[in-house]
Amino acid sequence: MANENKNSSSLRLYIFVFFSVVLLALSVWIVWDDEFGLRPWKKFQTEYKTLKHDKLEKDYRRAVVEFERSGGHRKLAELESKLDRAEGVFKSKENQEKYAKLNNQMEAAHEALTKSQKELRDLRGQFLEIEYYYTKTQKPDYKAKMDVLQRSIDTVALRVAAQQKAEDTIKGSLSALTSVTVGIRSEIAKMKNGLEEKKDKITSSDKVPVEIKQIHIADVDKADRCQSCHIGIDGKSQISGKQPFTRHPASFIYLDHHDPAKFGCTFCHRGQGRATTTAEKAHGNVKHWDEPMLQGDMTQTSCLNCHGDIKGLRGAEKIIKSTELIKKYGCYSCHKIPGYETVGDVGPVLTQVGTKVNYSWAISWLMDPKKYFSTARMPKFYFTQDQAESIADYLFSMSGTTRHDVDNTKSKPDAKLIEQGKALWAQSRCNLCHITGGRGGNNVKVYAPDLSKVGSKVNKEWMFKWIKDPNVYFPGTKMPRFRFTDEEINGLVAYITTEYQDEEAEYKYVQPVEIKAASIAKGKDLIQKYGCYGCHKLQGMEDMVQVAPSLRKQGVSFLRNNEMREKIGMELSSIGSKPVDMLDFGKLKSSIPNDRLSYIKQKLRDPRGYRLGLRMPNFRLAESEINELAAVLYGFTDSSVPTRFLVPSRQELDRMAGVPSYKFTGDFAKVIADVKCTNCHAIRGIGADYAPDISYAGSKLQEGWIRNFLANPDMIRPLLQQMPKFGLTSGKPQAKVTMPRFNLGKQKVEDTNKTDVDVVINFFQQELLSSDIPKEIPKINTIGLPEQIAKGKQLYDLKGCRACHQIGTDGGALGPNLTNVGNRLTQGFIFKHLENARKFKADIVEPNYGFTEPERIYLTNYLMTLKLNAK
Amino acid sequence: MKSLPEITDKVKKNLIWKSVFRRDYRNTVRDRAQAVFGNVFLHLHPVQVRESAVKLRFTWGMGGITLLAFIILVITGVVLMFYYHPSIDQAYTDIKDLEFQVPFGVILRNLHRWGAHFMVIVVMIHMFRVFMTGSYKAPRQFNWGVGVILLVLTFLLSFTGYLTPWDQLGFWAITVGTNMGAATPLLGYQGPFSEYLHITPYNDVRFALLGGAQVGGNALLRSYIWHCVAIPLVATILMMVHFWRVRKDGGISKPQK
Amino acid sequence: MNPFIEIITQPDNIAIVIMVIMVCFYMVWAFQQAFQNDRLLAAGLPVDGENDRFVDTFKPLVRIELLVALVVMVGLTVWSILVDAPLEEIANPTLTPNPAKAPWYFLGLQELLVYFDPWLAGVVLPSLIVVGLIAIPYIDINPKGNGYYTFAERKYSIIIFSFGFFVLWLLLIVIGVFFRGPGWLWYWPWQEWDHSRVVFEPTKDLTAIIGIESRSFAGFIIGAVVVGSYLIGGMIAPYRYWKKNNPELLTQLGMIRYVTIIFLFITMMSIPIKMVLRLVFLIKYVWITPWFSV
Repeated sequence: MANENKNSSSLRLYIFVFFSVVLLALSVWIVWDDEFGLRPWKKFQTEYKTLKHDKLEKDYRRAVVEFERSGGHRKLAELESKLDRAEGVFKSKENQEKYAKLNNQMEAAHEALTKSQKELRDLRGQFLEIEYYYTKTQKPDYKAKMDVLQRSIDTVALRVAAQQKAEDTIKGSLSALTSVTVGIRSEIAKMKNGLEEKKDKITSSDKVPVEIKQIHIADVDKADRCQSCHIGIDGKSQISGKQPFTRHPASFIYLDHHDPAKFGCTFCHRGQGRATTTAEKAHGNVKHWDEPMLQGDMTQTSCLNCHGDIKGLRGAEKIIKSTELIKKYGCYSCHKIPGYETVGDVGPVLTQVGTKVNYSWAISWLMDPKKYFSTARMPKFYFTQDQAESIADYLFSMSGTTRHDVDNTKSKPDAKLIEQGKALWAQSRCNLCHITGGRGGNNVKVYAPDLSKVGSKVNKEWMFKWIKDPNVYFPGTKMPRFRFTDEEINGLVAYITTEYQDEEAEYKYVQPVEIKAASIAKGKDLIQKYGCYGCHKLQGMEDMVQVAPSLRKQGVSFLRNNEMREKIGMELSSIGSKPVDMLDFGKLKSSIPNDRLSYIKQKLRDPRGYRLGLRMPNFRLAESEINELAAVLYGFTDSSVPTRFLVPSRQELDRMAGVPSYKFTGDFAKVIADVKCTNCHAIRGIGADYAPDISYAGSKLQEGWIRNFLANPDMIRPLLQQMPKFGLTSGKPQAKVTMPRFNLGKQKVEDTNKTDVDVVINFFQQELLSSDIPKEIPKINTIGLPEQIAKGKQLYDLKGCRACHQIGTDGGALGPNLTNVGNRLTQGFIFKHLENARKFKADIVEPNYGFTEPERIYLTNYLMTLKLNAK
Repeated sequence: MKSLPEITDKVKKNLIWKSVFRRDYRNTVRDRAQAVFGNVFLHLHPVQVRESAVKLRFTWGMGGITLLAFIILVITGVVLMFYYHPSIDQAYTDIKDLEFQVPFGVILRNLHRWGAHFMVIVVMIHMFRVFMTGSYKAPRQFNWGVGVILLVLTFLLSFTGYLTPWDQLGFWAITVGTNMGAATPLLGYQGPFSEYLHITPYNDVRFALLGGAQVGGNALLRSYIWHCVAIPLVATILMMVHFWRVRKDGGISKPQK
Repeated sequence: MNPFIEIITQPDNIAIVIMVIMVCFYMVWAFQQAFQNDRLLAAGLPVDGENDRFVDTFKPLVRIELLVALVVMVGLTVWSILVDAPLEEIANPTLTPNPAKAPWYFLGLQELLVYFDPWLAGVVLPSLIVVGLIAIPYIDINPKGNGYYTFAERKYSIIIFSFGFFVLWLLLIVIGVFFRGPGWLWYWPWQEWDHSRVVFEPTKDLTAIIGIESRSFAGFIIGAVVVGSYLIGGMIAPYRYWKKNNPELLTQLGMIRYVTIIFLFITMMSIPIKMVLRLVFLIKYVWITPWFSV
């Protein structure tokens, strides 16, 4: 019994000891894990320090070698004794007195200068502000204020120049006094080449503590600890290309404009800024963290968080390109997307479509738009033959027509007529916007339809009316009204309908067939279900107040009336920050990654794939387009960015300042509504960037030249031909295209006596002016004009202008041809352009030569003599 | 070089040692008794216990384990309170920081959470054991009642702690849990007969629990105070009663026929 | 991953797994000791611990207490090292998770919500559970089985308590944790949760089965009669039975104790009865009144 007890008590002791040891071991493990396992950044920071040390050490060694090569300590000692002697001279009483006196003078002069400079800066600031409002509103009292300010500026500028000169003189005397010592010192410094600083750098970088590096943004309580591992991300130089030590790519754009200390990392990159234990957690690629890190180009989606206007934003190129897709496919037609409320319908008006197209074509188009042409933007709705017929029946009945086809090949027009039409087609540059046979369509943002098979689609009567005045059928179309005569239009129609035929087209309804009422009703239901009215204007659906009962039963709530424009699709304004749990992965829950980006991409790839009953059509986007669109959608967030980060768009700024946005008024508005100049040109922020910005064309171009050009746009051809193909100017290679001839000058503008060309010229001369561009250049009276021209020519040769510009046949092809520049541009524009070319075109390649004012006057005078004696 | 007895002698024969331990332990009957009633922690026990009370198979040690779990929770809980603000702006990030920045934050939180779950389990098994051995029978009826209330308090301690991280899990668990309060007869706005007392969502039991009509900042503060102050206080008092009564009712129950 | 493994390895559910293992272990241990004592009792021998001698508290008891504490701490530490406490997304009042589950120890009550209205499942029944538990020592007048494991001497109280503890409490928790998915629908552990799944269960009220609108006056009367007869019948039947077979027991109990026991018992039994009605007969309510429904 006693023995047994002893045994069990010693067993108990063993158990006791065993568990004590286990608990101790666990405690040790906990301490070790907390110190190292959970703090991986320590390892990174130590490694980084070693790398940095090596690099600095190498720098230092190189400097030491350099020092030895340039003479070493012996030379240094020599220089130092030389310096001692020189300083002795400088320290003499006479020199010291002189030095003190000069210094006092210098101080006074500098103070005066600073004061004047500040005054000048203030005045210029005021001027710019007034000038901005003036260009916006064109009110004369602004102009008056500007003149007053300009006078003050001139006075002060003169004063500044004088004071500057005085200061320079004193400076010169001072430096003469100290030049010897300064010279020796700089020699010593050059020899040492920052030797000591380099050594100090090594010690100070070794002393940097290993610790969590954190950027704390107090007002949103954001703590970004990314730099604990990405230790070199904002470094001045690249220490190592290895992750996580690299520098931020393109930091001169991103970091220089977004100080990391103020912005942190996760506003742009998302991810879990607080996490420090593993890369997965920090990058947010873990469960229960909805914001995975954005990498590479995808990060540009974050620009949308703060920048109200990303047009032209540097570093946002990818996202700018991607946003264009929203306009291209008209996502806003069905989905509510803030910022796109006022963008027009993406599809053409269908109110009278029955009078326009063949019934057979409509069916084939409804079933598969890409079958007709591959660049079609309309998505595939997966309609059955039956459904397509019902929809077409509704549309045709609303146009008051029956099911009918017209086979344009049946009537053969006169060959001469076709020939005339063909010439007109070329002359009118139809291919600028429209693709035929895979060619043309350079102005892509107009999204003009491919006309390769149009002859099998529309009937001739409609086409005639359309070309005659497109606004009648489709108010708001981008198609301009070319002022063709009826005869010319006949020729064009004959050419188009015979040339552009679809060989495979069917014409089932050459004998018209009546439409059944049941089919119409069914078509209407389908149109309402799929929301065709989102993109197209439809007859009978202009205001969707009346609701078909069958739809209400299905619980559809996208009905539209005058007050409330509910969109058929889901609101997208915060899709980029929608909790993943709210996304319905449906059937694909287990087959695709359950994250937001994958959801969006899959939705774009196969809109109806998640479950039955979805209505979104398939746009059949290319994988690249899917990626781009997903990137944009990912940027639509409701994330709360502090207001101080927000960069309002130009429009918002104008709204805040109470400046109305620019609108065309008067007679010119009528012309532009017809000719659609803004399809290609931008005027005061309105329009496209396909052709040159003509906001200030009135100041830039000479009236006579404009008139000639509008009458015969071909004449610019020799100039534009020489635009470089490698696209240095704007990144977009321009093919040999010129402005179409709109036949201006033949007709009078509605309700006026003026011809349209006069209206245009008048508008250019009155409105499209820049206060920056003077009418005339200043004269220099001391030299005669021929002398000035000669000097200008000298300068032209001297500065090597001909390397890029061509006069006659002489010179390079990078810049515009200057052969006829004297006829084309105003002298004021040339003068100002030479001063600062970037002012007029931000991305211009022309270097700034820093011409003085007289030089600019000479050059302008010379260039104005370059005139081609036109016919 | 001194021998081991010499060193122990040196350590033990001074004022400090004696002030703490008072007497040498020589393993006599008197010393063994003195060790129990001279120690504030041990004097809950009688000097002598029945042999089967020492064996694990009778009590399973569940009551003691519950106390141990409670102590672990108090210690870890107090340390966690240093790093936590009961406000909806900070609570969640504080818990994140526990994981990512606070020294030993991860293990502290894990110990606290799993200790809490463990205590709930152990308390339930303790109740089962007491029932199975019929230990609630006379004279221990009252202490059984105290034990039941302690069980409920344990649930409530865990329940109030659920909300403190302010994450989806806690938020919705508390929402679901307190929604029951709204169904209280007479006093909950969804409960039967409440309309006769003019009960609305703004004056019912649930409102009192949450400090609002929804789970929000007030609910977080309330649950924090219940969790860290009020319930532990009540539970501690009841535990003292519980242990006291165990002694006074005759210690670990023994077969009575 | 296998959905079953996914569910049981969720950090919070590991606690439930531990609970299930521990409860099973101690259940077996308790009943094993009970049956052993029963055999001793049947043979007229003293039960375990009856003839105990006394030992010193210091050190045998203190030693074992320390050892247990050590083992528990090691276990908890290992658990804490291996499994991290969960932290989900920040609370979002606009985003309701499906299913939204209460803390696990209340899932039994949440499960009752399927069968009872919230005022019953969430307030009345839990209160009665607490009251009933506290009442146990006062209503259990069986003097036997005090201080030792036994089954034979207190069959009924152990059966009733075990039913309540293992089935109505722990089993419902396990069901709530492992078998309930989106929409509080039943999912086997190997089934994938489907958030769009809709189960159409045409439930009816009791009176509707015999063709009477349950919200009508007649329905109200019939429901009241059914509920009333369950309560009154449940009260009277055992009385009649014992009066005939065991009148001594009744006198021992006394009227107050008898009513308390039977009320608590029939309330407890109403839970499985209502579950069967709901699951097997698809009955939603038995009795509908303007104020509440049962």
